[in-house]
Amino acid sequence: MPSVATRPQRTVTAAPRDVSELFVRWQRDRDPAAREALVRQFMPLARSLARRYGRSSEPFEDLLQVASLGLLKALDRFDADRGAFPSFAVPTILGEMRRYFRDSGWAVHVPRGAQERALKVRDAQERLANEHGRAPNANQIAEYLELDIEHVIDALQAVQAYDTLSLDAPRPRADGEVVAYGDTLGEDDERYELVELDATVSAVLGHIPPRERAILRMRFVEDLTQTEIAQRVGISQMQVSRLLRRSLEQLRTLTQE
Amino acid sequence: MLPNLRLRLANRPENVLVVRQALTGVAECLGLDAVETNDLNTAVTEACNNVVAHAYGGAEGPLEVDLQTGPDVLAVLVRDHGIGMPAARRVDHDGLGLAVIDALSRRAEFLQPADGGTEVRMEFAPGPKSASLEPIGASGEELSLPNHGSPREGIDLQVASSEMARAVLPRVLSVLAARAYFSTDRIADVQLVADVLAAKAGESITGSYLDVSACVAPRDLELRIGPLQRGHGESLLAAAADGLAPVIERLTDEQHRVALIGHSAETLELRLVDQRR
Repeated sequence: MPSVATRPQRTVTAAPRDVSELFVRWQRDRDPAAREALVRQFMPLARSLARRYGRSSEPFEDLLQVASLGLLKALDRFDADRGAFPSFAVPTILGEMRRYFRDSGWAVHVPRGAQERALKVRDAQERLANEHGRAPNANQIAEYLELDIEHVIDALQAVQAYDTLSLDAPRPRADGEVVAYGDTLGEDDERYELVELDATVSAVLGHIPPRERAILRMRFVEDLTQTEIAQRVGISQMQVSRLLRRSLEQLRTLTQE
Repeated sequence: MLPNLRLRLANRPENVLVVRQALTGVAECLGLDAVETNDLNTAVTEACNNVVAHAYGGAEGPLEVDLQTGPDVLAVLVRDHGIGMPAARRVDHDGLGLAVIDALSRRAEFLQPADGGTEVRMEFAPGPKSASLEPIGASGEELSLPNHGSPREGIDLQVASSEMARAVLPRVLSVLAARAYFSTDRIADVQLVADVLAAKAGESITGSYLDVSACVAPRDLELRIGPLQRGHGESLLAAAADGLAPVIERLTDEQHRVALIGHSAETLELRLVDQRR
């Protein structure tokens, strides 16, 4: 049989006959060297499953550990008379990862990783916009943060879903001054009132808070970009996006009533 | 049974992301939890990757994803019109894809229809809100899926539920806007346009499906929305105003209404560009 790799990087692919021999040596004789060889043989399988199943989740290393645990269970339970090991191991390893997600509350909370990424994307958008004087595109953010483009797109949507995500939380501006939610609009809000309104719309707009009305006006009457609005109001572009979507949704609901 | 959602796109690797974002929207709309969403997304991604890598022997061809939901089932069908499933394809590049689909779905079937190609049919837990989806078109009307030729260069999305349209359309169009190198400002505009279309177009379509096809080029996104009742392209533009400056007119660079020959219907064509460099 092929020699077992001594350097961890080296990949040794054993022939099927040797694999079944290793299973005999581990399951019947409890030979730890055989188990080690099997782990080395099938670790790429666990790694591949962790990568496929864990795309949008926790740090990859955490998930890889869970997948490895699944692999060890599969090595113990595999019955060599019933087909090839991978088709037995796939559901076992995936089952382990699903259980981990369930047990860690991942199913009911917005995954920690996704929340953190949304905040990183928010900050990167701001920083790149400041540096270049214009809003970045999604690829530039992905490159800057070394993130998958899918994660950036998720984050740009996330502001809708994560109402609890504290995009409104006070945070330092570029000049270091801390600005709290809504603080940046003064008492002269009324000058932001929208013009040319019919009676229904005026009544309806009364339900929209002053800051949101101001943002609607800046986008649709003054034709400012969301990044320009963000700078003027002192919030992030992602928050402007969220407020605009929410306000227009409210207006649609109100005008339908 | 007719699907609630149908996506048709070319079997290119980057289009799998469109499918994934659509599914994330569906999952959100049906109230799936994060683990169920991940199961759904992972399994369907495997089926799509299989079509990308193997269905057309290296050439390009259509990838179709149908999604159908009800109180007892959430079924997803991934279909191609390619070379079928020879033994080599059953075990994909590392032999895991089909095993993953099997493990993550409640039931999976791998079919080879008589007219060629391959279908992977998967069933998942339907989610708490599945039974209550509102149809998008006039109620009581016979469902019929508009069947036109393969989509132009780009993607085509048909959706029969207004709730699902609201969840899916902004996500799908965000991916395409990102692919067109739009700035985050312009991506956000696309989301606002998608919100309006999803909320308002249902009142204007001729049948039961809102059909949106999209064409992407650098800094350029073209949308075709239809089929609309004659004259409704204009009212969709106007209705979308919400009493404010018309959202669609303000945020898009071109708007055309195109009459469909031989039908008393029209489509609305919108073009968004991002001029900022």
